[in-house]
Amino acid sequence: MFQYYFLLGLRSLRRNPALTALMVLTLAIGVAASISTLTILHVMSGNPLPHKNGRLFVPLVDNGSLSGYTPGNASGDKQLSYRDAVNFQNSKTGERRSVMFGVGGAIEPQRKDIGAFTSQGLAAYRDFFPMFETPFLHGQPWSEADDAAGADVIVLSRKLAEKLYGDSNPVGQRMTLMGFQYQITGVLDTWEPVPRIHRIIGSGAFGSEDSYFIPFTSAIRHQTSHNGSMNCSGNREPGYQGTLDSECTWMQFWFEMANDGQRGELQNYLDSYAQEQRKLGRLKRAAPNRLFSIDEWLVHLRVVGNDNKLSAWLAFGFLALCLVNTIGLLLAKFSVRAAEVGIRRALGASRSDIFRQFLVETTVIGLAGGILGLLLSFGALALIGMQSKQLTVAAHMDWVMLAMTFVISVAAAILAGLLPTWRACQVTPAIQLKSQ
Amino acid sequence: MLRMQNLNKVYRTHMIETHALRGFDIHVQQGEFVTVTGPSGSGKTSFLNIAGLLEEFTDGEYILDGVNVKGMHDNARSRLRNEKLGFIFQGFNLIPDLSLFDNVDVPLRYRGFNSAERRERIEDALAKVGLASRMKHYPAELSGGQQQRVAIARALAGSPKLLLADEPTGNLDTQMARGVMELLEDINAQGTTILMVTHDPELALRSQRNVHIIDGQVSDLVHKGPTLASSQAKAGSNTATV
Repeated sequence: MFQYYFLLGLRSLRRNPALTALMVLTLAIGVAASISTLTILHVMSGNPLPHKNGRLFVPLVDNGSLSGYTPGNASGDKQLSYRDAVNFQNSKTGERRSVMFGVGGAIEPQRKDIGAFTSQGLAAYRDFFPMFETPFLHGQPWSEADDAAGADVIVLSRKLAEKLYGDSNPVGQRMTLMGFQYQITGVLDTWEPVPRIHRIIGSGAFGSEDSYFIPFTSAIRHQTSHNGSMNCSGNREPGYQGTLDSECTWMQFWFEMANDGQRGELQNYLDSYAQEQRKLGRLKRAAPNRLFSIDEWLVHLRVVGNDNKLSAWLAFGFLALCLVNTIGLLLAKFSVRAAEVGIRRALGASRSDIFRQFLVETTVIGLAGGILGLLLSFGALALIGMQSKQLTVAAHMDWVMLAMTFVISVAAAILAGLLPTWRACQVTPAIQLKSQ
Repeated sequence: MLRMQNLNKVYRTHMIETHALRGFDIHVQQGEFVTVTGPSGSGKTSFLNIAGLLEEFTDGEYILDGVNVKGMHDNARSRLRNEKLGFIFQGFNLIPDLSLFDNVDVPLRYRGFNSAERRERIEDALAKVGLASRMKHYPAELSGGQQQRVAIARALAGSPKLLLADEPTGNLDTQMARGVMELLEDINAQGTTILMVTHDPELALRSQRNVHIIDGQVSDLVHKGPTLASSQAKAGSNTATV
């Protein structure tokens, strides 16, 4: 019978075409408003490595001074000092680990037709690449020996490689970065995780991609200045070494555990480490030592702002208004069908048959609203994307949101159709048949 | 076929009670052609609606083809209505945006027949009323008499045991009314029981039995001998009781 009801629903779209069009349009506008804001939220709060959510962690220890500190309070600092970061790196805890900080400097191309230009990159350990599952177009990451030796090796982004070398494979070639010669070991394929969980601090969750990656040890050896924020609560000796020895926080760190469920083990390590550092007189505060999974890190850094959430609530409020309108329109549409209900009831349809028929009919309206809503959503997302670079990255609909458009549209239509459908079922056939 | 005993129908509002039927008794045999007459407001339509399971009665007993319908759930009543009854209305009551084929198809869909059987029944029913060639047409493209024929085809397609007709010729001119009446007589002759409400005394005279209702009660019963179908089916065993 579903097929029969569905065909009747399609046929019903042609009946009262103006009323039907108004209903579909009302529903589509509400759905488009909801879906476009929900898409932004979905993309912004999305986890590009969901399968690693229980394995990748950001550690934070509080190395702030006691001045103005209330015991037990967690620090607002979101980065680590060089000393803590290097200690974590050397701890061999977890399956993989990498300290990282943003760098920026001049690139001097061999090609005469391109002048020197500055570009941002990342200093990290080799583990960074498998941790974040970066795809390689050519070559591979540098070796652990390179990390240990602080070798001048480099991995380029595809964009930078194409800019410098065209379509040829540049692995093995040398290039000049910040005045030093780096040997290229690999070229990443296009890699655009959204949000960029590894670089939320520094270049932002939706910022532009890093052009190159160099070993952390090499960057330190060359005293490469960092490109990003730094928080210093104590005294700092002048010079690069002074920064390294200070309690200034300017580095990010990621641990990868071998399996889900090893968070407790990592937390124990972190607590032991902090206890040891307190004994050494370094960490002064009795603050909690915190670990953040990817999802927790996104929440902690407020990747999705309150204004985005408010927009989504407003959009759903608008959808609710559209639903109220649709209910009114459906009541009008179904009320003129009372005679048909009477006839069908006389011919053997039960109330539940009528209920199903009209509910399928509202589903058809919901599907039509979904199709139009999808088109409007694409338009709305294109407009939203024009507002800022960040929104351009976020304003992309994936398959989940595509399916969600129809789910929301059909669910909204069914919800709106419940009252009109119920009322249609209450039609007294005898009265309708006599009044014809 | 149909037996009502001491049946009452009371319409209640918060202000008044209206007794549409009171102590109503009737027994219609299989194969009979019974007309129901009476002045406006006498209870004819209430009787027909209750007989057609479109309305519930207040108390009493109603047995339809051996099934006691009192207190029956809506689903069971609908199924019984679909399987045992056919309706013909004064206003034809065709669904305007369905073709003749699809109109006749409606009760068969609820019956659960497969596609092939539905098609066969629809074509047969429309052929019986002389409209087989117009099954793709829409009701608005037909005359009143033709529309009523489609309604009859729709009522017949499910092979009902009892055909309930509410002034089926009321909206037709004399010639068309005669044609429809002859069709109903043919249907009755083939064994289908017919219960027809009419205001037309001439039509009442053509039936085997006329039941006259006044103030919700049967006031008069006129036997005029068996119809062709009932005489064949029961060999004169008409025991209608009022």
